[in-house]
Amino acid sequence: MSSSVSDRMQARDVPTVRPSDLRQARDLMFEAARSGQRVLLHGAGTAQSWGAPVGDVDVVLDTTGLDQLLAYNPADMTVAVGAGMSLAALQERLDGQRVALDAARIPLGATVGGLLATADGGPLRATYGTLRDLVIGVTVVLADGTVARSGGHVIKNVAGYDLTKLFSGSLGTLGLVAEVVLRLHPLPEATATLAVPCDVAAGFAHATALLACPLEPVALDWHEGRLLIRFEGTRSGVATRVRKAVALAASGEVLEGADETAVWQALAGTVVGGDGDTVLRAGTRPDLLPQLAARLDALTTGPSVKATLTSSVGIGVHTVRLRGGQPAEHAAVLAGWRSEVLAAGGSVTLHQRIPGLDELVGSWGRAPATAPLLRALKKRMDHDERLGPGRFAPWFA
Amino acid sequence: MNAIEHLRDTLRAIVGPAGVISEPTELRTYECDGLAGYRVTPALVVLPSSSAEVAEVVAACHRAQIPFVARGAGTGLSGGALPVADGVVVSLQRMRAVLEVDPTNHRAVVEPGVTNLAISQAASAYDLYYAPDPSSQQVCTIGGNVAENSGGAHCLKYGFTTHHVLALEAVLPDGTLVWLGGDSPEVAGPDLRGLVVGSEGTLAVVTKVVVRLLRKPETVRTLLADFPSIEQAADTVTGIIAAGVVPAAMEIMDQLAIEASEAAVGAGYTLDTPAALVIELDGPADECGELFETVQKICHANGTTKIRIAADDTERARIWTGRKAAFAAMGRISPNYFVQDGVVPRTRLTEALSTIAAMGAEASLRVANVFHAGDGNLHPLVLYDESRGEHDRAEKLSKAIAELCVDLGGSLSGEHGIGTDKACSMPVMFGKEDLATMDRVRRAFDPDGLCNPGKVLPTPRLCGEKPGPYRPHPLEAAGVIERL
Ligand SMILES: Cc1cc2nc3c(=O)[nH]c(=O)nc-3n(C[C@H](O)[C@H](O)[C@H](O)COP(=O)(O)OP(=O)(O)OC[C@H]3O[C@@H](n4cnc5c(N)ncnc54)[C@H](O)[C@@H]3O)c2cc1C
Repeated sequence: MSSSVSDRMQARDVPTVRPSDLRQARDLMFEAARSGQRVLLHGAGTAQSWGAPVGDVDVVLDTTGLDQLLAYNPADMTVAVGAGMSLAALQERLDGQRVALDAARIPLGATVGGLLATADGGPLRATYGTLRDLVIGVTVVLADGTVARSGGHVIKNVAGYDLTKLFSGSLGTLGLVAEVVLRLHPLPEATATLAVPCDVAAGFAHATALLACPLEPVALDWHEGRLLIRFEGTRSGVATRVRKAVALAASGEVLEGADETAVWQALAGTVVGGDGDTVLRAGTRPDLLPQLAARLDALTTGPSVKATLTSSVGIGVHTVRLRGGQPAEHAAVLAGWRSEVLAAGGSVTLHQRIPGLDELVGSWGRAPATAPLLRALKKRMDHDERLGPGRFAPWFA
Repeated sequence: MNAIEHLRDTLRAIVGPAGVISEPTELRTYECDGLAGYRVTPALVVLPSSSAEVAEVVAACHRAQIPFVARGAGTGLSGGALPVADGVVVSLQRMRAVLEVDPTNHRAVVEPGVTNLAISQAASAYDLYYAPDPSSQQVCTIGGNVAENSGGAHCLKYGFTTHHVLALEAVLPDGTLVWLGGDSPEVAGPDLRGLVVGSEGTLAVVTKVVVRLLRKPETVRTLLADFPSIEQAADTVTGIIAAGVVPAAMEIMDQLAIEASEAAVGAGYTLDTPAALVIELDGPADECGELFETVQKICHANGTTKIRIAADDTERARIWTGRKAAFAAMGRISPNYFVQDGVVPRTRLTEALSTIAAMGAEASLRVANVFHAGDGNLHPLVLYDESRGEHDRAEKLSKAIAELCVDLGGSLSGEHGIGTDKACSMPVMFGKEDLATMDRVRRAFDPDGLCNPGKVLPTPRLCGEKPGPYRPHPLEAAGVIERL
């Protein structure tokens, strides 16, 4: 996965710097600016393969030294951390509370800053969103060493522009996310998942029927021939809702404890992929799922490539993993499926690729109408285009 | 012909003669928003009826290099829609269509002039609703909500406008029409939709909004609890959160606020209680009932003197009428008032309120409090009498209260925005580099400074050459966070 980028940097003898506080981070960014160095921002390295491959850089800035717990206020349900702290490590330090994010990369060590910069999310996204929705304050270091803060330590705050949003999905191209303040949620007393076997069209129909009832599932995902419906709440509340959901589905298996964990871990496994897989994520109107799944099937009728699709059905977030076969086949599926998604008004972000894919197909689809605006923002934030160069090519430098 | 006359003719050609206002008396209607202390008469008001017309109007302003200010219903409380003299007001009032309600995908597509409440009304047939519910929801527009990232009583559980907007069609300050965001929360690249939400009309003019709709909850349970002190009410709020309960809403009113509200609408609040706390839970029936018991126990543990439980929807609506009327009712107990909108960490509510009371006493002015307790968003109302020359003293107190919130680790504004009103206080909360970075964002969208200029960020013209010294954030001062 990420190893390819890190290996490449190592092979090229690109020096790594590792600040351990905001001041050092600022000084290093300032130093890089003065000597005109191109910088690769690097957290745990779990998403370095997202987007287009980064071109040559002169220095790698490793954020994992920015891992301090700066302030934890359990009664306010907020926590401030260095952005290089892994979310899994942060989670362990919270008492009866959580950062309500379950992106598949978290167990691999993904950092808080990296999770914001990638706008990554897991099944819980349907209820809690991504870090864009959970971060209430951010401190960034721009390419020229400017340290800027937006938001603060309170969950409700409209003072000034919200830089968190600009950095959400920026993939390390607009500046270094150095510190983050997060909103926490209480850990649920109980959870349970109902797994309903079905094909994707029936899964979508069932999800629609379920969402029309006031049962409030926290996650609703289709994966490997099953619709997974997760509930969280009080013990008796979850039991009641599961009972109603079972009645509605007329079939399905109720999973709790280790069985429940396993089924969601399997889903995360698809999303994370393995060596040599191509993984992409798309966002579309939710009801396009059956059509997009059918299109994917049609594109992978050959024997060698196996496509696995998982989707957060209520919000139209789909992840596709391609495994096996040749780069040319992956390229054909990517190009064909992406054009279908784009034609339907959706978006596609490449998360990782089979080696050789980049020679055959572009990482990004056609540029959006906002490309000139993105370019203008890039210029204002990183005037000399030194951060993560090429990550969004050809949309911006 | 001068530049304005020329622009007037161009705009007439775009929207038709009836869509351009240039009569001084008619222009006066647009001279202020809900913060009526600031007034500026614009040179022109234009009322486009479609996205394409908005784009042409903005392009024409851009060509002429004449500033423009978008305007919804004008209920904003920070002078965000205050016109620019010699500039154009772009009113979105003719764009009031609910274009689509899509029950399958739980979303609606609406024009910017649609009122907040109209969205929920249109969705109601499908048992869906639009969650953010500002008290002004019958009149304020979704375009204004997007610009202000408006909140409401139920935002503790459901979040603010930014959590409920999927996509925006917007006209950039050079007249380009673009879509920001998408049909799914998953989009490629930086979150431009999120950046524009809450930017107070300074980055773009929003012409369509795609909002997320939620399934109506199965049950709603509401109670009104009286407390012998504001502190006990605030402690109850903290206790409920600590118990892991996330109510849909928790609102506190103090005695002055109750007095005003009762005089206006008579919703049956206890007149002599020092504090009243409205708590609403919603969700699946069983669970809601279970947690409602927990909440009542916590109220008792904190010394509640009376709990009134809404027996039905009518009584629930009555409790909310009392709460939502509090603002507008201030006129009943004071000829004039200023309202603030600062936020403090929930755990510092008590401290904030007692400091505000002391500050009020020192200034010999009454301060009424009605606020979103769950998220620490205060709405102190500084009561004064203009005719007795109390204006300046009240204004000073009001500003000091907003800045106190920052000192306590909070924010200048939770939902009303910075606008014209608090732009000069921004350096209290943000450093020079923070503001300069925000300005970079603004210039990327609007290099010519035409889109609602003078709002949000302090300018020397507005605030004097030096916008005041940066005061370190309290956590920074305590060494918890570092500027550097
Ligand atoms: C009695 C009362 C109670 C209130 N209660 C609440 C509350 O509970 N919660 C809350 O958050 N607010 C509340 N408000 C404040 C106000 O109603 C909100 O800020 C509301 O969102 C403003 O909407 P509007 O249509 O009136 O916008 P306006 O006042 O017309 O404009 C507000 C800002 O939005 C910009 N704008 C408007 N339309 C567009 C557009 N289409 N594109 C780009 N920019 C645009 C304007 O330029 C301006 O900066 C209250 C106000 C009153 C008077």
